[in-house]
Amino acid sequence: MVNTENIQWAIFIAMLAMLMMAVFVIAFVIYYQKKQLEQEKKLREIEKNYQRMLLETALDSEESERRRIAQDLHDDIGTMLSLTKLSLNQLSKIMNKEESRTEFTFNKVQSLVEETILHVRRITRDLVPTTLEQFGLAAAIEDFVRKLGENNTLSVQFHCQPDAIPRQSQKVELTLYRIMQELVNNAIKHSQGNEIEIELLADKDKIQLLVSDNGRGFDLRAVRESKRAGLGLRSIESRLSVVDGVMQYHTLSVPGCRAGIQVPIERNRGKKPEPLHPFRRERSRVQDFPS
Amino acid sequence: MIENYILFFQRSPLSSLSVFVTLIPLTILWLRKAYSNEAFRLLFVYLIVKLVIDLTMFHFASRSQNTILYYNLNIILRYLLLSGMLFYSFQSEIFKKPLMIVGGLFVFFSVWDILHVNPVLSDLHNHAMVLYANTLESVLMIFWILMYFYETVQSMRTANILTFPFFWICSGLLLYYSANVFVAPVMHYANKWEGRFELGFLYQVPDLFEIICMLFVSLGAWFFSLHEHGQY
Repeated sequence: MVNTENIQWAIFIAMLAMLMMAVFVIAFVIYYQKKQLEQEKKLREIEKNYQRMLLETALDSEESERRRIAQDLHDDIGTMLSLTKLSLNQLSKIMNKEESRTEFTFNKVQSLVEETILHVRRITRDLVPTTLEQFGLAAAIEDFVRKLGENNTLSVQFHCQPDAIPRQSQKVELTLYRIMQELVNNAIKHSQGNEIEIELLADKDKIQLLVSDNGRGFDLRAVRESKRAGLGLRSIESRLSVVDGVMQYHTLSVPGCRAGIQVPIERNRGKKPEPLHPFRRERSRVQDFPS
Repeated sequence: MIENYILFFQRSPLSSLSVFVTLIPLTILWLRKAYSNEAFRLLFVYLIVKLVIDLTMFHFASRSQNTILYYNLNIILRYLLLSGMLFYSFQSEIFKKPLMIVGGLFVFFSVWDILHVNPVLSDLHNHAMVLYANTLESVLMIFWILMYFYETVQSMRTANILTFPFFWICSGLLLYYSANVFVAPVMHYANKWEGRFELGFLYQVPDLFEIICMLFVSLGAWFFSLHEHGQY
């Protein structure tokens, strides 16, 4: 006859083993789920960094292309136009000025060449904001505003204490400058207002850029949903993501709208920003070349 | 009558406690309005059914009457309601269909088992506990719970599993059925008026783990409000 106590112990041990397995399963589920979540988080982080890197590369390429075009314009077309102007000056000395029709045509050609030179300079400046690299964001925006002020129908005001804005890396300054350009262009193109106000502020943690207008405002959600209209907004958001910035729109206040950009201040600026001036860089290269 | 209840409570405190502990998850589920979700509704119904059967058993047991008929009935209802709860919790059809088929087969098997061990159903005094249905229920439930865990981990349906209600509910059930799976086969021999097999301390195991399971279910029900109803 089998001892009851032995059977009891056998059942107890089997039960204990089963319970241990159950506890192990529960612990494993907790561990595995946590591990999987961590991996997912890491993967998302890698993907985010990759996207950011792609965006950064795209923006860098865009800037490089702008620089190349500016350089080509200055070095090739600019030089050729200057030579044309010089040749015209020399021609004016030997030309027969008695004939009024010839003189009129000559003067017209000369003024057209001068105008073209001015246009090329303006396009070059717009492509590569040299003031930004030399004198910083506040000066570059001031320069931009001054040029816009030449248009009499539009009043553009810029408020900033240049000393309060610390110099940042080329990436941050260029990003803020391009965003400012985009916001102002949007205000000019779509707001139907006649006043634009730009404000540049900084505290110990962040740089803040505020652009407001007195136009008709817009429906932020509708613009975001629209594939074509939201392109400018998306471009601003993409640029901001590269410098960890944020944007806020206040479009409900009638009239106009107000865009606020915040970018964290870089405590330790790394290397000196690469010169933006295409011409000086080219010259220095020539100088460095051994004769 | 109340004296009988008190006496029974004193004689079998763990069995009595396992009856009234059901009130904890039931109250929490009611307060959290968890019955708005299909899976939780079935859990809620199961807890009500369990409470009613347990109270009936408590009443008759306190009068030293055979209550095994209710226990046998409880096995069928418990499996149907809890597997139904898992049916609504599963996301994949791969598990849902077999769960339904197995549910139907289990009912047939359990009815056969009851009739097999109790040829004379009207003899309630000598009504015996099922031979295999209880063990089969444990094995099946362990299997479905493991499948549910597998699906939950694979689909990553929750960010934090420790606040996921069904994790706690299934953990409680897993512990209960794991403890029960080896005790259940001998229960048939232990629950007899004469010539009974002495289980000793093991007799308390199902009650003890029933209490633990109810506490886990309460914890799961507590976390219910933190999640959106449609998630399950």
